[in-house]
Amino acid sequence: MKTVAMNLSGAVETPVMPSSPYLIDADGHPYVPIGTAGIVLGVHLGDGVFDHDADHAAPGVTLEHRDQAARHALTAYACLGNEAVVHGGAAAGRRGRVLGKRGEQGRVIVVFPDDVLEQLLPGDPILVRTHGQGAVISPTVTLMNTDPSFIDRLPLSVDGDRVRVAVRAAVPSSLAGNGIGRPAHMWDIDLQITSGPFRLGDLVAVDDLDVRHNAGYRRGWRTVGVIVHGGSPQPGHGPGLMPMLCGPAEALSLEIQGDQHRGVTTGDIESQP
Amino acid sequence: MSTVRTNRDRLVTQILAGEVWPALADRHGYRVDADGTPFLLPGMGGVTLGAHAGDPATGYAADHLEPGLSVRAAGEGANMALQFLACAGNKVTVRSGPATGAVGRVLGQHAYVLVDMAEEDLERVAPGDRVSVAAYGQGLKLLDHPEIVAKNLDPDLLDELPISTGADGRLHVRVAARVPAAAVGAGAGMVSEFANTDLMGAYAGQGEDLSLGLETLRLGDLVVLEDQDHRYGRGYRPGYLTVGVISTGHCRLFGHGPGPTSILSGPASAFSVEESS
Repeated sequence: MKTVAMNLSGAVETPVMPSSPYLIDADGHPYVPIGTAGIVLGVHLGDGVFDHDADHAAPGVTLEHRDQAARHALTAYACLGNEAVVHGGAAAGRRGRVLGKRGEQGRVIVVFPDDVLEQLLPGDPILVRTHGQGAVISPTVTLMNTDPSFIDRLPLSVDGDRVRVAVRAAVPSSLAGNGIGRPAHMWDIDLQITSGPFRLGDLVAVDDLDVRHNAGYRRGWRTVGVIVHGGSPQPGHGPGLMPMLCGPAEALSLEIQGDQHRGVTTGDIESQP
Repeated sequence: MSTVRTNRDRLVTQILAGEVWPALADRHGYRVDADGTPFLLPGMGGVTLGAHAGDPATGYAADHLEPGLSVRAAGEGANMALQFLACAGNKVTVRSGPATGAVGRVLGQHAYVLVDMAEEDLERVAPGDRVSVAAYGQGLKLLDHPEIVAKNLDPDLLDELPISTGADGRLHVRVAARVPAAAVGAGAGMVSEFANTDLMGAYAGQGEDLSLGLETLRLGDLVVLEDQDHRYGRGYRPGYLTVGVISTGHCRLFGHGPGPTSILSGPASAFSVEESS
């Protein structure tokens, strides 16, 4: 069936905090969360997920919408690789691409070139050409959160009902934290790790995780996604994996590349079709 | 009978008001289970009859089964205070309606305070009826076990639980089940004074590939969650244990399931855990 694109609008998120700024880390110590939302400078695809003393920092900007239902819709329909255009303000007309999304109220993460980030302000309107939910890659492996026109930039191959994908690493489902039990079309899964070689834009596999109808444990299944934000001091949180592919392990095979892995890069995001 | 020394004589009680909250739905009705099958089932909110502490947690045609009364407070701040400060075992009194004066106890939290009381009392309670909760327990310390953080636990309930200070100085806990970290579903990453930790692979009637061997849990059971640190939130941490009281039951929504309210958490070396046979 033919997939459908929709132009949706979001706004560059305005970071908000309660009257006490502290969150509590896994050891019970207070910290001030930095870089959780809005326009974050100095964080790029390819950076290590623990390179910055920040909380859930993503490379680029996060989008919100003043209406919560519209915000959920924007989050649900935005997909990796979707084109985003600044629709007003000092950077009007400049282009970026969706990297991923985060859960709870819903946030879309958009990567823009550095000179665009420097001109953006919270509240600037962004048009997102949402496209990808409903796209099919194979009869046995489910595709989600991914623009079909972006697939040829990803290290994966399709052979009939089998998909083979190159990843940095595979991790067990016990590391799946915040995001488990939530709809994976609208919510990333935080990996509960505090160290490791993972980089923003990496593809990573989670074994025994089925994300087709909410994210949950299913032995023998596998989910592959892209790392869309960095680590967090909060227990149960960590680098965020936005699910892209899910299927029985025998139909979704891995090439585990370790240090040789190249996931989604700035070049992939900035190149035009 | 617990022999654990605590700071209970230093704790204060706050009387908090709440009301029995209606069950909530939206006009689309359905949710979907692990296999993508739509369902529409009762269990959350309102007054749920026929499931009490000691009864099986699962085996009901229900979703997010909340035993007894599901209580919230009107107003965001007042509700969070109620959810954070209510502890398992706290005394709850019905304050309006035909069941005025009936008394129950907090079984746990689940974004509602869940109150178990006698079936004949539950039968007379309606959503909207007001209740008071004698909130007592946050701030509890186990004086001989400084590495263990206690929470959501009324000291009077602690006295009734199979928890004691062992001869080796560790906290001895007898549990109904050991729960592997892979079973931890929704709740991961949330603060541990709020709601509970849904356990996956915990009810019969699903595919073998979904089972984690937890199908026999009962409401009120003590369980130990392996590699879970719930001292200051809920997260995976090798070498840590969390003890919880099963406070919710059957759940069809994928990634969810019967859940323990966290009451004790610390390094595994601080506990000795015995499984009931």
